Amino acid sequence: MDKVLQFERRTKPVDPGGPGPGDDGDGGPARPKVERPDTRDLMRRMRRVDPNQARRYRQRTGE
Amino acid sequence: MTRLFGLETEYGITIDGVDRVDVVEESMQLIRCYQHFVPLWDYRLENPRRDERGFEVKNLLNDADEKVHLQQDRKRKIPFAELKSDLIIYNGSRFYNDHTHPEYSTGECISLFELVAQDKAGERIVDICARRRTEVLDQGTVRMYKNNTDFEGHSYGCHENYLMDRSVPFERILEGLLLFFPTRQIFCGAGKVGVEREDRAPIYQLSQRAEFFEVIASVDTMHKRPIVNTRDEPHADAARYRRLHVIVGDANMSEYMTALKVGTTALVIDLIEADCLPDYRLKDPIAAMKNIARDQSHAWLVEVEGPGSRLVPAVEIQDAFLDLARREFAGRDQETDWVLSAWGDVLGKLSRDPMDLVGVCDWVTKKWLIDSFCEAENLAWDNPDDLFWMQSQDLEYSNVDRDEGLYYLLESQGQMVRVVGDDEVAAAMSEPPSGTRAYFRGRCLEKFGDYVSSINWDRIVFKRNGRQHAVDMKLLVDAERVARYNEVLDRSETLEGFLAALEELGIRN
Repeated sequence: MDKVLQFERRTKPVDPGGPGPGDDGDGGPARPKVERPDTRDLMRRMRRVDPNQARRYRQRTGE
Repeated sequence: MTRLFGLETEYGITIDGVDRVDVVEESMQLIRCYQHFVPLWDYRLENPRRDERGFEVKNLLNDADEKVHLQQDRKRKIPFAELKSDLIIYNGSRFYNDHTHPEYSTGECISLFELVAQDKAGERIVDICARRRTEVLDQGTVRMYKNNTDFEGHSYGCHENYLMDRSVPFERILEGLLLFFPTRQIFCGAGKVGVEREDRAPIYQLSQRAEFFEVIASVDTMHKRPIVNTRDEPHADAARYRRLHVIVGDANMSEYMTALKVGTTALVIDLIEADCLPDYRLKDPIAAMKNIARDQSHAWLVEVEGPGSRLVPAVEIQDAFLDLARREFAGRDQETDWVLSAWGDVLGKLSRDPMDLVGVCDWVTKKWLIDSFCEAENLAWDNPDDLFWMQSQDLEYSNVDRDEGLYYLLESQGQMVRVVGDDEVAAAMSEPPSGTRAYFRGRCLEKFGDYVSSINWDRIVFKRNGRQHAVDMKLLVDAERVARYNEVLDRSETLEGFLAALEELGIRN
């Protein structure tokens, strides 16, 4: 694997030690801070989901 | 990171508003909605029956349902290549009909974040195809789901591929993966409402796939699935490399989890190659896999071998992998450090309160959605009708329609942690990942596609003036060679010039 290991490649500039997306203050990922998570929109959307959607959803076995 | 990897995702397909869906026909038609189909894929270079342990099986196993379907499929008049409808896209990916599911296989990546962008580009492409197919149908709306089950015992995969050193003893690969795979689902499981087999318990599971794994190791992928798949199809120099074909994982909607799943697994393969593994051995990896997925306490205790045997939290085992990876690889490159940091943060939160990972882990986010909905609607887990509604919400989480899917509603509200931007995803729909042979494949098609007579992951054949010119890409996995190939391609204006330049380099067969 030596040559593969030598790949000098473009990486996304992420500072693992610093605040990143969703940082919750203790250094780790967490739910992003949003002013007021709008669960009303979520619940409204979820109520629109057909209760029988999963009952009808039939697939063939894949890999 | 330091090795090549890629993702292959089989999507669920259905049409709302019609009574019966021929998923074989629809998968084929959906793929053809993306671009004009020309049969180029060279199936002669594939053999999924060859086992890494040095033998070849006569047939791959199928479950009872699928045996019946396959008998019916044989009556179809459509030629094999037409049915498969393989498209090769300029971004180096393969998009085709695999076992009745549209499958998007990313090109080879060596950057985690490029891989996430390529994987998300696949979702966008699938969504575009669904919209186009809906427009031409007489009735109904095509829906595409990035999940792994129909909740009725039919599972389909999101496979990971990692290039690794062939010289590593298979027993060591088994030892490492049988400890890592059953326990990694505590962060990268996609979550599932219900159990599809055995007791069909009305509970929430961490993983979509865990209950479908029945044996330790085998070459099969569709029946009696193994934790470690032994398919030996390296698509590279077989004397030097294996392609570890991982079938045990769930499809992730969360960008963060796709990156962490692949990143941690790549580091564990580094540890396996370095012969540096934690001092644990699961007593029964298959039972551990299922028990962890079903554990409502989130203690995730697994039985390990040793004097008297004892129960150990899965978090402790993952921590042991992390400690070794930190010791061996910290500071190696930016993405490795990102993985080490994210891995530690996620394990810490899982041991304190998993619900702190809403917006990060798919299973936690989905559980939060389902719990909130149950509370709002007063649904009960032991009521079968309520359970179907919850499963319908589970399904909609993975709907790739950005105007409809629940994951995408959360993302639009800024509630999901992201690791790539929309512009990067849009670019990845047509641009191959950098620095790998995916670039060579995609750009060859873009520049000289009219002359390509066949293609596979590791070979392109051009036809010009009645002569065939095959370019073998098996060795195109080391950085220097990739750079030379890609540079020659970039500066070549004609096929003749391109082939002559390759010949000068002595790399054309």
